[in-house]
Amino acid sequence: MENPCSEPLWGNGGSDITTRPRARGGETGAGGLKIGPETFNDQDRISSRPLSTFLNKTLSAQQPTLRVEGVTKRFGDFTAVDGLSLTVSPGRIFGLLGPNGAGKTTTIRMIVGITRPDEGRVELFGRPVTPELQNRIGYLPEERGLYKRMRVGDQLKFFAELKDFTGRAADEALDRWFEKVKLSDWKRKKASELSKGMQQKIQFIAAVLHDPDLIILDEPFSGLDPVNVELLKDLVLELKQAGKTIIFSTHQMEVAERICDDICLVNRSRKVLSGSIREVKSGFGRNAVALRFEGGDGVLEDRSLVVSVERHSDHAEALLAPGADAQELLRRLLASGARVTRFELVEPSLHDIFIEKVSGT
Amino acid sequence: MTKFRAVLKREYVQRVRSRMFVIITVGAPLMFALFTVVPVLIAGIKAGGPARVAVIDETGRMYPRVRDSLKGTQPGRDDDDDEEIAEAASGVANSNTRDRVDQMAKATAPSYEVEEVAAEGRGLEELKTRLDERVGRGELDGYLVVPANVLERGEVEYHARNLSDIYTRRQVQRAVVEAVRNARLDARGVNAEVMRAINQPVRLKATKAGGGTQEDSGQSFFLVFGAGFVIYLTILMYGQVVLGAIIEEKETRIAEILFSSIRPFTLMAGKLVGVSLVALTQFAIWGLALVGLGAYLAERGGTFAIPPIPISVYAYVVLFFLMGYFIYATLYALVGSMVTTAQEGGQLAMPIILLLIVGFYLAFPVIRSPNSSFAVWVSMVPFFAPITMLIRIVSQEPPLWQILLSLGLGFATVAAMLWLAGRVYRVGMLMYGKRATIPEVLKWVRQP
Repeated sequence: MENPCSEPLWGNGGSDITTRPRARGGETGAGGLKIGPETFNDQDRISSRPLSTFLNKTLSAQQPTLRVEGVTKRFGDFTAVDGLSLTVSPGRIFGLLGPNGAGKTTTIRMIVGITRPDEGRVELFGRPVTPELQNRIGYLPEERGLYKRMRVGDQLKFFAELKDFTGRAADEALDRWFEKVKLSDWKRKKASELSKGMQQKIQFIAAVLHDPDLIILDEPFSGLDPVNVELLKDLVLELKQAGKTIIFSTHQMEVAERICDDICLVNRSRKVLSGSIREVKSGFGRNAVALRFEGGDGVLEDRSLVVSVERHSDHAEALLAPGADAQELLRRLLASGARVTRFELVEPSLHDIFIEKVSGT
Repeated sequence: MTKFRAVLKREYVQRVRSRMFVIITVGAPLMFALFTVVPVLIAGIKAGGPARVAVIDETGRMYPRVRDSLKGTQPGRDDDDDEEIAEAASGVANSNTRDRVDQMAKATAPSYEVEEVAAEGRGLEELKTRLDERVGRGELDGYLVVPANVLERGEVEYHARNLSDIYTRRQVQRAVVEAVRNARLDARGVNAEVMRAINQPVRLKATKAGGGTQEDSGQSFFLVFGAGFVIYLTILMYGQVVLGAIIEEKETRIAEILFSSIRPFTLMAGKLVGVSLVALTQFAIWGLALVGLGAYLAERGGTFAIPPIPISVYAYVVLFFLMGYFIYATLYALVGSMVTTAQEGGQLAMPIILLLIVGFYLAFPVIRSPNSSFAVWVSMVPFFAPITMLIRIVSQEPPLWQILLSLGLGFATVAAMLWLAGRVYRVGMLMYGKRATIPEVLKWVRQP
């Protein structure tokens, strides 16, 4: 057997279970906070990333909501997730991005405790995942469904009950959420009577009804019309305002760009890059300028300054050479007598980064 | 525990509230009544007038006897030895049908118009041709040919338009047998007085040994057989319910949400227990209805009576039902987590149904000799014990240690099955797309 873990997934419920993957040097395992030399290096690697600057500034006292360390999951010969590490800080929207089949859903399944990593550890709120901790997670899977013949109100209450969220508080929260997604009239209807979009909103409620601290949304907007996408997006931002941590998995970069604070891009089971959106973009090392000008012939042909030029209908986009300064380009243009009507530094979109990173590897 | 209760409650409430539950709970007894009462009622519909039978009497002496016994035929009386043997050989099911045929015969009891056909010098063949014509024209329903050597050879021909009218056929046969038997006795000089005494019917009065003087005309047997049958059907029905419930959660991917909130084993156990409570609720409703009906009928002086059954038997019924239900329901759960659609589930569940059917048919030899070593062994096999051991308990109570051993083996099997199904369930529920193969399933079981 390749997997050295022999305890059941939940073991005797409570102590250090999902962790202690290998008898690695010095790792004590107990409590999950004492970290051996080797894992310490992992930790070091993570905190050396730009993400932690944010942590250090504002939340240094707080521990991360989620810490995934060197997690590997294999299915037979296929490695779905390979040595993945990531840290999600409280109150942030964390984008888990990647193409289809990159290992996003497998990663999420390990985070919520549906499956167990073959190697590595997952820590929620500083502790290994237990059924009690599961109650503090809300999960909207990508593959999702409802009981067709059950009233939607009843099934939401059932899902909340499974999270130990019952009684008056549950009823009130239920009404509030039905109100929010504008489905109050449908509470007593069976799921089969609802449209697909409505069902999706019900499933969204199922993920947030029990007031979880960590909300994991796997492709929450797929298949929704623009109005409902806006509605759900606003609700997600509202949850963030309320201090919830949100993990948002998608392959739609436009959506991720609009709502995520931090991202982790995975491709072919491995992490490609991670950090806050700002840092990822500035660290991407791509410098482009959108230009509109007359005259100044020849300046853009200087390969020490501009690598390539992409001409659009009313402007051109110049990709600067590595190390080249946009100010220098502007100076040269002006010096050559060009009449510049537009000069704008263009950030690479997440989409561009995604395409380059994914197709480049 | 809250989570387990939540699953159990959902399973129970959703199913008991469903239309299907109401239909089956109310419908099943109605169907039962329909199948027992309606045939008798329908058979009571008297179609057509009295049967007209002609007799060609070649002996010249038999006609009055045949006529008298046909006219005075008593359909309820049964004195045909060969049928007794047939019945003994084929066991319960047939005796049941025979009862029904008798009931129907009683209800239909046609009167007979009998006429003698005089030979008047014509040959037998000619007479038969003419009678055939009359039957064809509808003037006659049939005719008998009593040959001259009937007393020695004991053979009488019966030609009838409708041979599938088994009631009439049976009555004609009885009449002929009676007539010939009396003629034979007469020929040996037995007088009429002695004959009547000989023909006095004999009735078998059955009571359980050591059970006092209370006559048991089969009610307790039918009750236990009925209970066995109901258990068998209920296991089959609720096994399918479990299968459907598991496939639904897999097909709709609800399992993914559920597994992020509750341990798979707790979920599966909650479902199994919830559905079992639905079945017990159904039993309780049926039981109360039966007791109520019995009390009502007894008050009105009806003949319907529920035989006294010791309270321990009720407890055993519940215990063995639960054992059978959990063994088979876990099998269904196992199948449910291996397949991807209800259709596949139906196919893969066939062996389970086969196992159940075998268990049901094993009941018959056990009924006939409940303490044979065959019966003892069969009632120890967990898959068959729920029906066979129950039958042994009611028919001839086996030693307590055998009952306890059977229960012990059964519930040990339940525990093993639960463990096995749980292992497969936790992996299988998240596998979409294709049906799992046996090697895959074995791998899942071994997976930590």
